Amino acid sequence: MAIAADALSRTKRAPRRGRAPRTKGSWVFSILNYAVFALFALICAYPFYYLIINSVSANDLSALGDVRFFPVGFHLSNYAQVFQLQGLTLATAVSVARTVLGTAGTVLVSAFLGFMFTQERMWGRAFWYRFTVITMYFSAGLIPVFLIIKGLGLTNNFWVYVIPYLVQPFNVILVKTFVESMPRSMQEAAEMDGANIIQVFFRVYLPNMTPILATVAIFSAVAQWNMFQDTLIYITDQSLYTLQYLLYMFINQANSLAQAAQNAAGGNLSAIANAATSQTATSIQMTVAVVVVLPIIFIYPLFQRFFVKGIMLGSVKG
Amino acid sequence: MTTQAVLQEAVTDEVVESKSHRRAKRPRAGKKSVGMFLCILPFLALVFVFSYLPLYGWIFSLYDYQPALGLSGSDFVGFQWFEMLVRSPTQLAQITQVLVNTLAMSFLGILTSFLPIVFAVFLNEVKAPWFRNVVQTLTTLPNFISWVLVYMIAFSLFSSSGLVNSVLTDSGIITTPIKFLDSGDHVWLTMLLWSLWKGVGWGAIIYLAAITGIDPALYESAKIDGAGRFQLMRHITIPQLMPTYVVLLMLSVANLLNNGMDQYYVFQNAFNMKHIQVLDLYVYNVGMTGNNLSLATAIGMLKSLISVILLVVVNLIAKRARGTSII
Amino acid sequence: MKRREFLAMAGIGTLASVTLSSCSLISGDSPKAASTSGAFPTTWKKEITVDVFDDLANYQGIQSGWFAKIVKDKFNMKLNMIAPNVAGGGETLFNTRSAAGDLGDLVVLGSSQHLDEALKGGLLLDASTYYKNMTSVAGYKQAVTKTNPGDKGTFAFPTSVSKLKPTQSSESTEPTFGPYLRWDLYADAGYPKIGTLEDLVPVLEDMQKSNPKAPNGKPVYALSLFKDWDGNMMNNAKQPACYYGYDEMGFVLAAADGSAYESIIDSDSHYVRSLKFFSAASKKGLVDPDSPTQNYSTMYAKYQAGEVLFAFWPWLAQPAYNTTENMSAGKGFEIAPLKDMKIFSYGAEVYGNSNYAIGIGVKASDPERVAAFIDWLYSTDGVYANGSQTGSAAGPKGLTWDLNSAKKPALNAFGQNAFLGGGTKQVPAKWGSGKYADGVSALNVTTVTAVDKDPSTGYSFAYQMWPSYQKLIINPLTKDWSKHMDGASTTMEYLRDNKKIIVAPGSGYVAPADSSEIQTLRNQIKAVIVADSWKMAMATSTKQFDSLLKDMQDTVKGLGYAKVLKVDMEHAKEQNKTRLEVAKKFG
Repeated sequence: MAIAADALSRTKRAPRRGRAPRTKGSWVFSILNYAVFALFALICAYPFYYLIINSVSANDLSALGDVRFFPVGFHLSNYAQVFQLQGLTLATAVSVARTVLGTAGTVLVSAFLGFMFTQERMWGRAFWYRFTVITMYFSAGLIPVFLIIKGLGLTNNFWVYVIPYLVQPFNVILVKTFVESMPRSMQEAAEMDGANIIQVFFRVYLPNMTPILATVAIFSAVAQWNMFQDTLIYITDQSLYTLQYLLYMFINQANSLAQAAQNAAGGNLSAIANAATSQTATSIQMTVAVVVVLPIIFIYPLFQRFFVKGIMLGSVKG
Repeated sequence: MTTQAVLQEAVTDEVVESKSHRRAKRPRAGKKSVGMFLCILPFLALVFVFSYLPLYGWIFSLYDYQPALGLSGSDFVGFQWFEMLVRSPTQLAQITQVLVNTLAMSFLGILTSFLPIVFAVFLNEVKAPWFRNVVQTLTTLPNFISWVLVYMIAFSLFSSSGLVNSVLTDSGIITTPIKFLDSGDHVWLTMLLWSLWKGVGWGAIIYLAAITGIDPALYESAKIDGAGRFQLMRHITIPQLMPTYVVLLMLSVANLLNNGMDQYYVFQNAFNMKHIQVLDLYVYNVGMTGNNLSLATAIGMLKSLISVILLVVVNLIAKRARGTSII
Repeated sequence: MKRREFLAMAGIGTLASVTLSSCSLISGDSPKAASTSGAFPTTWKKEITVDVFDDLANYQGIQSGWFAKIVKDKFNMKLNMIAPNVAGGGETLFNTRSAAGDLGDLVVLGSSQHLDEALKGGLLLDASTYYKNMTSVAGYKQAVTKTNPGDKGTFAFPTSVSKLKPTQSSESTEPTFGPYLRWDLYADAGYPKIGTLEDLVPVLEDMQKSNPKAPNGKPVYALSLFKDWDGNMMNNAKQPACYYGYDEMGFVLAAADGSAYESIIDSDSHYVRSLKFFSAASKKGLVDPDSPTQNYSTMYAKYQAGEVLFAFWPWLAQPAYNTTENMSAGKGFEIAPLKDMKIFSYGAEVYGNSNYAIGIGVKASDPERVAAFIDWLYSTDGVYANGSQTGSAAGPKGLTWDLNSAKKPALNAFGQNAFLGGGTKQVPAKWGSGKYADGVSALNVTTVTAVDKDPSTGYSFAYQMWPSYQKLIINPLTKDWSKHMDGASTTMEYLRDNKKIIVAPGSGYVAPADSSEIQTLRNQIKAVIVADSWKMAMATSTKQFDSLLKDMQDTVKGLGYAKVLKVDMEHAKEQNKTRLEVAKKFG
């Protein structure tokens, strides 16, 4: 092992971000670069800002699309509504659990498969790699998948949130591409030390894959956190509802109340129409979007640290 | 070997040990390892169960399938669904227009697929870490906003009574509102801009990660050789990102027919319908709204087959051109 | 009964049930033998929670509030609502649950196609044994027989049944369709006479000119259209056809009395007439330019803000704009007196609304209790309690209303608060907890129509039709309107007295589901019709309009319009036949 680490550190000697000589062109470039990024960031941030100000503004104004720069008629009743939803705490716990477990699972499996698929020695390597990757392009349809999940006893079962997502071909490809760019000498050195393939993976490769694993983790965590279709299809037990699904139902309820007017021809509609518009579908949708995205924004910087970590590793060892 | 690879070779030749697997493909001694295969077998089993097993459902495309009745209770209709798509000349014209839209949007997407790289490379040139992080966080935000809400915002800004039109009218630049949303012109372009805005920051994550994975020694040696800032970008950063880019590009080529429908669904209206209707939206408009599972299956099946064929073709081309296959 | 006969009967009964179960079940338990004692138990020992699969519900989860308390007290039962509307995914839930063979304990189906599939797939239990004990449902025997043709059993119960004559309107005080305009501005314009649809254009133009800006400073438009509800045709453009006694059947507009059938794409159809009307309005700048891109909720908000002057339906404009405040200032939407209108009205359904049905799931855990519950929904108490979300029934007696000193029904203080005062009050403790609106029945299915009369009061279940209520809501707006409408007290009264309404007898006819092929053709064609209709509606020149019309006609013909039209035409004629039959039999 020692040799392997040594080999690694020899290849990564100095910090990458050493200063290149600054020219006049370089200064102009830097200023332009900052300016363009600032502008683009602003364009990207505005819609989210728009959602925030609208979710705290008078609902009828926001339905008209009149709230654009500052909140008008400030109130928090939209948020109060969301936070009073029945089962919110449990659903949040389920969401957190599936995100953590699902992400950890996918990251590990992707790392392992991505690494294994670089091993020329493996029996049928190319075939099995293709066997896995090609599934990205299949769609078998909802019903057969449902029947299989049900057959496996995964309906109304927490693990339906984790197991079907373990192998993500796209992530496997990402990892494999990354591993291929890593120095092969690492593996050779470790194997000379007598390490088997599993040990090589865990001791040598896994610790050096942080940037790509952080990427996979972000992708997977966001996907897990935002997923609600699986709850819709596979879960009827309310104790397994996810936060996303609860909020999704909340939105649907607002929408379907608004549409009930259409179905109930001739009845007295003022009662439901009022119920539907005092909390408009629009305002609820925006509030929910903010509630869902905020945690991501707070957690995201934690992942960003991993992007830098790869460099740190190299420079410290040097 | 491409020019980029040659250049890369030039700056890296002193770090011989760090040759990648891809290029150092010397045959290893000994027989193939079945043990390694057994290690991944459980995961292959998962792939089989969740992705291959359900494919039996493709048989639904030959039936008029109704879930309550099951397969045995549903009528067998043979290739009716496939024929139905191309029965009359008008239909053929419709389908052709839909395919043109689909391919146009896909190719525009592929043509602009280098933008996330540009984003990542240039963001990497930003030296202030706080700025970099803030930009990175903010630019991923649009990815999290559903298309329904995006449309809501687009409506607020670009509708006839929206912000842009009111500002332009009030300042006397125009007299009648510009039809941003309900016009049949430049539909492909506006759709492209929306999807770029939503996706570039998010798509750059992969490359930002890849950049941090680049061997620092490459930069060191290049600097010793006197390379400047732009030369480092051109000769090291970008070539190092190429393998990832090429793989993703190939994968997206195989996805030519799948451009999703959410975006086009929310933006569609009577006036842009002709140019906005992509295959997925068309399937939704003619099939799924009527709850026709069999037709949906037939189209899904065709799309799967075409994707796989495209993947194989692309892979063959890559093998010819680069000597190694992508997958 | 002699012993021998009894055995024979029992034998036949067993045989019948075996045969039934073997042909009606995919798998699982056969229907449990019911108690044949002749009445449902009055107390239920074990508390159960039943899954209610409900296509119509707008709430998912356990029913709460006062309705839950009534159900718990009476049946010791909780309702776990499974609502595709709320769960999302369109047909996903129905498809997956029916593929799995179990929809729920209690099933409310929202389309004849769902009912058809559920019956064929054996997802509903034969409730024949319980039906004998269902004394409330028995009052609507004809409807039950009609819903379960042949003698295979009793699988589904009809909804919106009525004891009214089918030639009587099922609407209470306002029709479903009608040209509604801002009465205050119409008054400012001097109550001009309106001969026919096209005459609305100059009237609306005057109204818009005299009131160009809404209180929020935004421009006012006479018409604001929206796209969300487009189906076989542009939804907004169908509505004026209803002012002339037509309703849609696929691509056909059929007159309520069967006197005429139109193909919507014909140049002289009422549909194209509406499009021309829109186009004429567009020419004058009366149509909101946001129309093609906005959705229902944006448009609704515009009504609330007073940015729109005309509405196709009372139930859109009135809840949005006729607030207590606006009405006491004399402002609000009321029906416009078009001289030649003949508004289409849905007649009471003797056979019930055949699009919706209630059934017991084939795997129900306690089918007897579910049957007893269904029966209760058709009883007087049940109708008052259950019909209060979209059905406009008054709510349970004692909670929202009582008999007044004249022994006539009237809303009590709590009821007035619930229906007119924003529903701020908490439900009295003996009715449970929460506000009135929180406890409304989530089933959202109308068993007996609210316009039917409660035999014990002699008035209808709908509080809007009580004289006591009408007295309660008089305001400057309705007073002024009434003054110019020969003293009519409600819109329906005005329409009836002036013969401006035409009732299509409630025959309960439901067009059979399209074959998958027709369905696909229809979907392709309607996309073209809808898109081109919008272009026509917004067209500002006759030439442009005509070329678009021609283009639409040619395109849809190429797509196989004739084939679909033929099917729709047959359905429309079939529907008329059943209407005539029903009118003859019960009218």
